[in-house]
Amino acid sequence: MTTAIDSSIPLKYPTKHNHYGFRDFFQFDSTQGTIQDWNGGHNILTTEDFIIGLVEGLEEEVGDASAVTMYTIGCEWGKADAFFFEKWFEREFDRNVRQTNLLFLLETWWWPFTSQGWGRWEVDMGDRKQGFMFINIFDSAVARGLGDVGKPVCFLYAGLFAGFFTELVKKQLSCIEIQCYSMGETYCKFLLGSQDRIDAAAFWLNEGATARDIEKRLRAGE
Amino acid sequence: MLSQLERLSFQVDGRYASDAELQFLVDYVQSFRLRVETYQRLRDLELTLVKETHTKMQAIDPTLFQIGNQDLVTKWKRDTISTLRYSAVAVLINDSETLQERFLDWFQTMIRAFGAQRSCDVTYQVMQTVVKQHFSSAQADLICPILELNRRSLGMLN
Repeated sequence: MTTAIDSSIPLKYPTKHNHYGFRDFFQFDSTQGTIQDWNGGHNILTTEDFIIGLVEGLEEEVGDASAVTMYTIGCEWGKADAFFFEKWFEREFDRNVRQTNLLFLLETWWWPFTSQGWGRWEVDMGDRKQGFMFINIFDSAVARGLGDVGKPVCFLYAGLFAGFFTELVKKQLSCIEIQCYSMGETYCKFLLGSQDRIDAAAFWLNEGATARDIEKRLRAGE
Repeated sequence: MLSQLERLSFQVDGRYASDAELQFLVDYVQSFRLRVETYQRLRDLELTLVKETHTKMQAIDPTLFQIGNQDLVTKWKRDTISTLRYSAVAVLINDSETLQERFLDWFQTMIRAFGAQRSCDVTYQVMQTVVKQHFSSAQADLICPILELNRRSLGMLN
């Protein structure tokens, strides 16, 4: 987990972009007891038990509303991170986020998350012109901890994507996880798009549709 | 080598390492002179290698340096030099794991973002033949596996 802090790490190599290895990305200060990352974010190490406790504890407290709560937390986080990202991207690349190759921009956004243990991702923008896109997450930190529980659990990620992309494209977007490691799948799959599309996908999912079914129906223009 | 040393320091916590566990250090020391010579020669021949690789690639397919209407030769040269320098360090310290973790994992996503996998596939394939023309076979045996790792990491078309 990470939060933005004011002071940035004094960078010896400001033009170095491949700084995502464990030893490069994190600065451990044993005297202060802090872990700063390359972009000046303040990081906290947590165990898988912490994530399980967070998800299951919240579920015990608020029941079914825990999914919405996690999604909302993710959404706020994504929005805040969009501003944080814009700043460090412009500092590192000396270029505005809107004047750059989109896939390069997105890969650059996700790299700190990969270093922090949120998993690797793959963005499928093939349907962008139709107003939706898919994101695959390999090794989700939430699903990995919870294991096979037979339902999607990565609401935090769905919210994170919704929040970040809403800020990036300046248009309200929503996100739903349509396939999850915690459903026995090998990786998690998210659909990002307008609220009506996400509502439709949620309905189909509820009716027992698979991620593949949902992809087909969306591509068929339903 | 650095990755292996780090692993060794964990594995032998509170005990002595066995001869088998120390073998990689012996191998490294024995290959050290060759590695330094190879590194120095890579440094001296950097521009020749890049230039000859470029010429051969042009002959194979000039569109390898184009995406749409964009001419990417300058960008290709910068990326190739950068990769070659990281590769040279990997040869020197015998550590392809660190090359993968600190450079290739990241660079692979950037190459895919720009759709340059085919160009990378050919670059590191052709560069292996260029290296074999300029280096002794013992030196090429140190460099080519690293170039092949670059090709597999950056050039995979999927």
